[in-house]
Amino acid sequence: MKPADHHARVPLSVLLPGVHAVVDSIEGGIDPAQQEQLVAYGLAPGRSVRVQQQRPMTIVLIDEVELALETSVARQVWVRKA
Amino acid sequence: MSTASIALVGNPNVGKSVLFHRLTGAYVNVSNYPGTTVEVARAAARFDTGVDLIDTPGVLTLPARSDDERATMHALFDEPLRALVQVGDAKNLRRTLTLTALIAELGVPMVLALNMADEAKARGLEIDSGELAATLACPVAATVATGGEGVTALTRDLTRAQAPHPLLHYDPATEAAIARLAALIDAHAPHPRLAARGLAILFLGEDSVTESWLHAAAGTQADALKTARADARAAGVTPAALAHERGEAASLIAARVTRRRADATPRLAQKVARWVIHPLGAWPILLGVLFAVYEFVGVFGAGTLVGLLEENLFGAYLNPAVTGFVQQHISVVWLADLLVGPYGLWTMGMTYALALILPIVTTFFIAFGMLEDSGYFARLSVLSNRIFKLFGLNGRAVLPMVLGLGCVTMATLTTRILSSPRERLITIFLMALAIPCSAQLGVVLGLLGAISFSATLIWLAAMVAVLILAGWLAAKLIPGRRIPLVTEMPPMRLPLAGNVAKKTVGRLKWYLIEVIPLFLLGAFLMFLLDRAGILPAIIRAGEPLVTGWLGLPKEAAAAFVMGFLRRDFGATGLFALSAELTPIQAVVGMVTITLFVPCIASLMMIIKEQGLKIAAAMLAFIVPFAFLVGGLLNHLLHWVWA
Repeated sequence: MKPADHHARVPLSVLLPGVHAVVDSIEGGIDPAQQEQLVAYGLAPGRSVRVQQQRPMTIVLIDEVELALETSVARQVWVRKA
Repeated sequence: MSTASIALVGNPNVGKSVLFHRLTGAYVNVSNYPGTTVEVARAAARFDTGVDLIDTPGVLTLPARSDDERATMHALFDEPLRALVQVGDAKNLRRTLTLTALIAELGVPMVLALNMADEAKARGLEIDSGELAATLACPVAATVATGGEGVTALTRDLTRAQAPHPLLHYDPATEAAIARLAALIDAHAPHPRLAARGLAILFLGEDSVTESWLHAAAGTQADALKTARADARAAGVTPAALAHERGEAASLIAARVTRRRADATPRLAQKVARWVIHPLGAWPILLGVLFAVYEFVGVFGAGTLVGLLEENLFGAYLNPAVTGFVQQHISVVWLADLLVGPYGLWTMGMTYALALILPIVTTFFIAFGMLEDSGYFARLSVLSNRIFKLFGLNGRAVLPMVLGLGCVTMATLTTRILSSPRERLITIFLMALAIPCSAQLGVVLGLLGAISFSATLIWLAAMVAVLILAGWLAAKLIPGRRIPLVTEMPPMRLPLAGNVAKKTVGRLKWYLIEVIPLFLLGAFLMFLLDRAGILPAIIRAGEPLVTGWLGLPKEAAAAFVMGFLRRDFGATGLFALSAELTPIQAVVGMVTITLFVPCIASLMMIIKEQGLKIAAAMLAFIVPFAFLVGGLLNHLLHWVWA
């Protein structure tokens, strides 16, 4: 197995601004309708995101779209460092 | 109504309404589809006046999940569509094509407009639109709607619009389910314009508009459709799986036609966007924006314009003329009173609606449209989210709340943008209780400002405390879950004057149709209460409470009843007494009257939006609560200064 596969999985909410990451999974703590919404925005497993800022909310860039997520949602999105 | 229409469809924030403005003439009609609460704009096309252009609400996903998306599906089903224009974000081709992958299956001739081509370029993205057009087999036009670039080419492309090739084949089990459903639809519920295969895919995706249309059209065969879908579900064909496959196909095609250059130069707008949401920089910018809106709406609209219209035009010319005319020609006293008496349809209803509220909402809609087009609102939701969390809401509620400071009646209607009934209920309740409208705010600040700055501060502190307490209680007591905020932040752009003007006119038209009848009905009810002698009786009954518990002069009781007619009337009634009021009485009176029932027009709106039962429950809480808080404040202030 390649070393890249051994990157730790962390919640999106802990990453520092400027960090690139790949979405690993979205946990069940989010309402199903909102999960569907996240996927539509492109926050789906396998997609890469770049963290813009964490305050006052988590803001990520996905495919040139800026998406703001409340911390309670960002905590449910697990990522690997890209 | 025209015999043919062309619908603009696309994700939110792709510049759809600006493109709509470029493609249409001056007259816009804003309407709702039955069963939806979302406004849909319609206007004759500039290039062919026999064709109606329809600006559908932005869709995040189809099959439809939200009200916006359902309204768009209604447009697809109900309009005599000649063609579709999918408006997409050139810098996010994957998302654009995910939607294309679905609507291409409907078999409607289509043109894809890749808008905001300039922003894509600034980010170093180049899209081979020729290759994309070849892949889709329909015209693809690069546009910059804000600058009007590519719009002529798009108009030309519309004459060559074609039903695109499907972007993907689903996996075999899904394809089998689609084929089975499509055959059933073709046999029992064919749509005059939409392809059965597309309807089958929407039905499998649990699109509610498609479901109810098919259910009605298929009649006795509706159960066969449901059975086919249940079988598919058992074989693992889920809405999520279909959406996933469309996303994958879109990704592959987007990657093939997009080149990324390394020499991207960030534009000024991108830098501004960074500051507007910066953890520190955001706050001075927010204060600046609020101040500018206050100056334009509160000072210019509610002050200067209302002064000109209400005192000069209506007060000095129109009302005396109308009153004179009526009294000369109508000898029946009660009929003359009904028209021009103290609670007359003209003197109260129309004067209030046209001279007072209209200038305020006009300036408000202009400011609102500019903020909306600039992309600032989404950022404001993010900044204010933490405060609204206390109330069991999320930052999206900032829009109606801010609008409430202009006109609560209007703002009550705007709560339709909130996504759950619970959020709507809490927001409407808080606005009815503790948000003063601009008419009232002007009088309150005028009276308290004349006394002292600390009087104004005490009033403000009482309002904020009540808002937080009531919001916190509402969040605890009203069942249901709070929805955390997830929002896209559209790029910041300079609003276009023409587009803002057009939206303002469209909304005003809608306002006049929806709200003026409420003012007339309100005036009529007050007229009846007055004639039946109920009004004076209410005033007398309230006097002990007003003089004893609140410690106000007994004339103030009339001011409270007046406050129900017009929120500012109540405050004005107290203003007239101000020479006799002690500072404590002034503060107590203003706090009570701000909390006291909303005006009759907003009550009507609450009934319309939430039903009679909930409106009555709100009143039953607000009236005693306003007096409770006023009395407590009265005793507290006396105790502190005794």
